[in-house]
Amino acid sequence: MARNRFDVDENLDTPFNIKHLLRAGHYIGMHKKKMLLSLFLSAMSAVCALFGPMLIQQALNVAVPAKDYGLLIFLGVLMALSIGLSIWFSVLRSRFMTIVGQEIIYDIRKDLFAHLQRLSFQYYDDRPHGKILTRVINYVNSVSDILSNGIINFVLEVFNVIIIAIFMFSCDYRLSLVVLAGVPLFLIIALIIKPAQRKAWQLNSNKNSNLNAYLHESLDGAKITQAFTREEENAEIFDRLNRNCVKTWMKAQYTSNLVWYSVDNISTWVVSAMYLVGLFILGPTLKIGTLIAVSSYAWRFWQPILSLSNLYNSFINGIAYLERIFETLDEPVTVDDLPDAAELPAIEGGVTFDDVTFTYDGSKNILEHMNIDIRPGESIALVGPTGAGKTTVVNLISRFYNVTDGKVLVDGHDISKVTLHSLRSQMGIMLQDSFIFSGTILDNIRYGRLDATEDEVIAAAKTVRAHEFISQMEDGYYTQVNERGSRLSQGQKQLIAFARTLLSDPRILVLDEATSSIDAKTERLLQEGLQALLVGRTSFIIAHRLSTIKNCDRIMYVANKGISECGSHEQLLAQRGSYYHLYTAQLEE
Amino acid sequence: MFQLKWVWQNMEGLKGRYIFALCCTIVLSACDLMNSIITSFIMDTVFSPIEQGAAINEALIRQLVFLVVTLVLFTLFRTSTNYVAIMTYEHCSQQLIYKLRKKLYANMQNQDQSFFSKNRTGDLMTRLTGDLDLIRYAVAFVFRMLLSSTILFLTTIIVFMTRDWIFTLCLLAITPLIFLVTIRYSKRVGPLYVDLRERLSQLNIRAQENISGNRVVKAFAREDYEKERFDERNKDFREANLKASLLWLRFWPLLSGLSQSLSVAVLLVGGCFLIMGRISIGTFTLFNSLTWTLANPMQNLGMFLNDLQRFFASSSKVIELYYNQPRIVDPALPKHHAGRVEGSIVFRDVNLRLNQADVLQDISLEIHPGETVAIMGSTGSGKTSLINLIPRFHDITSGELTIDGIPVNKYPLHDLRSAIGIATQDVFLFSDTVDGNIAYGDSSLSEEDVAKYARIADVDFIQNLPDGFDTIIGERGTGLSGGQKQRIALARALAVRPSILILDDTTSAVDLETEKYIQNELDHLDFPCTKIIVAQRISTTKRADKVVIMDQGRIIQTGTHKELCQQEGYYRDVYLLQNGLEEEARKEVAQNG
Repeated sequence: MARNRFDVDENLDTPFNIKHLLRAGHYIGMHKKKMLLSLFLSAMSAVCALFGPMLIQQALNVAVPAKDYGLLIFLGVLMALSIGLSIWFSVLRSRFMTIVGQEIIYDIRKDLFAHLQRLSFQYYDDRPHGKILTRVINYVNSVSDILSNGIINFVLEVFNVIIIAIFMFSCDYRLSLVVLAGVPLFLIIALIIKPAQRKAWQLNSNKNSNLNAYLHESLDGAKITQAFTREEENAEIFDRLNRNCVKTWMKAQYTSNLVWYSVDNISTWVVSAMYLVGLFILGPTLKIGTLIAVSSYAWRFWQPILSLSNLYNSFINGIAYLERIFETLDEPVTVDDLPDAAELPAIEGGVTFDDVTFTYDGSKNILEHMNIDIRPGESIALVGPTGAGKTTVVNLISRFYNVTDGKVLVDGHDISKVTLHSLRSQMGIMLQDSFIFSGTILDNIRYGRLDATEDEVIAAAKTVRAHEFISQMEDGYYTQVNERGSRLSQGQKQLIAFARTLLSDPRILVLDEATSSIDAKTERLLQEGLQALLVGRTSFIIAHRLSTIKNCDRIMYVANKGISECGSHEQLLAQRGSYYHLYTAQLEE
Repeated sequence: MFQLKWVWQNMEGLKGRYIFALCCTIVLSACDLMNSIITSFIMDTVFSPIEQGAAINEALIRQLVFLVVTLVLFTLFRTSTNYVAIMTYEHCSQQLIYKLRKKLYANMQNQDQSFFSKNRTGDLMTRLTGDLDLIRYAVAFVFRMLLSSTILFLTTIIVFMTRDWIFTLCLLAITPLIFLVTIRYSKRVGPLYVDLRERLSQLNIRAQENISGNRVVKAFAREDYEKERFDERNKDFREANLKASLLWLRFWPLLSGLSQSLSVAVLLVGGCFLIMGRISIGTFTLFNSLTWTLANPMQNLGMFLNDLQRFFASSSKVIELYYNQPRIVDPALPKHHAGRVEGSIVFRDVNLRLNQADVLQDISLEIHPGETVAIMGSTGSGKTSLINLIPRFHDITSGELTIDGIPVNKYPLHDLRSAIGIATQDVFLFSDTVDGNIAYGDSSLSEEDVAKYARIADVDFIQNLPDGFDTIIGERGTGLSGGQKQRIALARALAVRPSILILDDTTSAVDLETEKYIQNELDHLDFPCTKIIVAQRISTTKRADKVVIMDQGRIIQTGTHKELCQQEGYYRDVYLLQNGLEEEARKEVAQNG
């Protein structure tokens, strides 16, 4: 799939499917007992409420004519009791359903988040982050009610319809048939509206997602927008997205509201038809009591149908969200543990590429038949032109991507056959972008090893020469920082990220342009500390500063879909190949 | 209550329609009893006589047809009016949200950097999505239901009063109690909703950071830890939700019980009155059949007040954003610069304090048009803060900063920033095409121009991508290497043909050969331009007309490369360091050559 942009709808090709609701059943199933109990409680509550009219009838027929105040009060107490019970039952039901509803969204969100943790870089690279965020937060919130109360009410209303129909038919089947004649009519209308309705809601959820994506990006990139004075143009783009949201929402409302509209009218037609039938066909044989009964049932018969159609509306609406949630849950995990994946034992750090071929998108190989063999403890520098695949090589060692062909081995273990956690937790990877989480500096460094003591954190910070600036901040290691603000310069962020990586005490260390924003002097100091640290660890270093590269045991020049030159600094210079060219280029004036 | 006033003010232009919809609701609620009235009429005038033996004559038929048609037409009228009313509510609420979103978005775009460092993206997103939606819900639904409940309640009371006012007053005796309970509840639930939306915001922040930092999470295999942390927030949110809902369920039996006790009151009081002969059976039946029209609104009142509390909690968060004023704004009396800015920049005794810390102190620096100035210094010495002052990302605390003799805060912001092209250190690219990213500052840029600036910045790797300039970049430029991102950011800065070009360590991740190429290209731009370059490498500073060395927020050395090389100090150290390496390298090459 092509990379998604804020203004491109994420189309969903699967047809409307009750499957999604059934699938949601998995989440509801865990609360089966509570759901059944709630159903029972609702029924009880309804039954209790039915006593009211009977008691009134008793009062009118018995107590009033007899002028029996005692009986009247007794009936009143009974009525209060029945109401009290009815309320008690329904409150119990609501309690259960509230809890179930919250549990369901908690579970869905938990699964969704867990699944997102397993998805590869590619997934995050391919779509605006605002769209992912909307699914985890807003969509999940939107489905809680339909999956708890919605389902209970649905069942109750269906029962209601059936029971009322039975009562109605027992009064007079001919008149009842007239009333029932409205049902097919309604179904036809519903069937006509449905596709448009579903499409409208889907479209609306798409447009909302687009708007959120753009909003999210605008908030993150506000500084650039201001620097380039793009505010007005952005406002226009936003306006367009905003308008689309309103337009699709209105469209969805126009069709959705037709449902109650038709129910209300159809029910009036059938009742009217019933009167006419009563007069013309049945004529004098008809008893007025029967007619009153059937007509009151007829009104009541359409009540639950109206409720059902409203529920149906919210189901349709909710399914548009559910589809998105399940789509995310179904997103294939491209890099995953094999079912029988073993734990990678404590490694020494030997890395082997065995005939590795790799492509990101299947169309163009980045690496072809690459073979390298690295001994434990060796330090390797990767150099070469931008886009040649230096980062790709290190990404394959951490198995951020699966190799297309061939094998990557660590200490002789095929990394595709061991658990990701056991592999990555023994590696320290410092990426190009040094993301800082909101929290204290201490927390950020400790992210590398969660059980590290404060002293260990400080020691790591000292090694990377970050201690000085951290202790100068107002709260030292407890200074609150975050991704964007917080006065941390880019170089300082890199130093913190560096300390974080070192703290994890990895056997294999990957430094991908880890020191690019650090000034020359600090870098020099850093190098000294680093050399000591590199001893005994296998390390991969991607850097442009040749001073960093020179000291490595071996230098690999990445070009032409593989390693074109490999050897120590002196060896490569003597070869007078690409590395020699790269190295001498900086000396020319 | 201010929230309501605020919403009403923002309905400017929609007020008429909204009032129309409210009127429809009033009329419709008042007609709520029409159907039952017509039905009873049909029974009384058509079917009752027939049962009592009247012949089915034309008059009866005409009467029935007339009533049935009235019923159908009235229903058609009622439902159509209701449809129109509901769509009007939807229209008004959507237009309101549209307007609010638009204003909020524009306001967000104008906020200072300090605003964005204070407010997490996740929190802002909560306000602009969930909180706005609650405002929409209130305008489209809650207000309508509150009104229709009230009207239904009042009409019923009027109907009752006309029948028997003593009986009615007996029934109304419990209403004050209901109000008391409702108000008590509202007071207690208010803070819970404030808390709830705070939890939602926290949940949002956590998810947002996890998504943005997904690479780091994977690199450290911290998925389980992240799940745990998210789970905390997820649980908090669930608990807060339950707390609010369960409080409601504690009050609800009371509300519901009180309002339904009306039926009991009808039975007891009505029964007594009947026995005493005070009221007729007809009155009793009427009261009995209409108790629900009194009980329901009272019962629902609590529910809608509940929603209203949520509305208050959310809208106050939105209002905060709405009225948040950036401190860096257009001057009251802007001075317009005639013609193109030449690019002379003067700092005079400039100080900058941020968060109670002195970030820059006593900065004095003069930059002439067309000059290239390099800024060097250790990590965190204030280089980025210094250049941030020029486009007014921060305002100076004291001193003077002028461009072409005009203080920067006297320029209209748009004019000032348009004259500056900046490539920031933390490269931010948009999830747009490469083309769109380069032309970000000037979307009217022709394809040739885009290609030209791409060439200067050496964005040649584009040709290797399948779609060339139409390749879509992931959010924040994920998927590109650091050097690639920096080069696109450079092309973007050049594409606005700025009078002042600020490069904040823009080539740090670019290989040396490319860097050299870019520097050569920058020397031959086809527009006049003052360049301020933050750099770590002597190879860059050597070419500059002036080198500025910073340390702990102060300028400690200024001069040309040659001058500085002869002074003891930071620059000389770095020079010797890098030069020493270079010398060493030269020797090596010579040996191998």
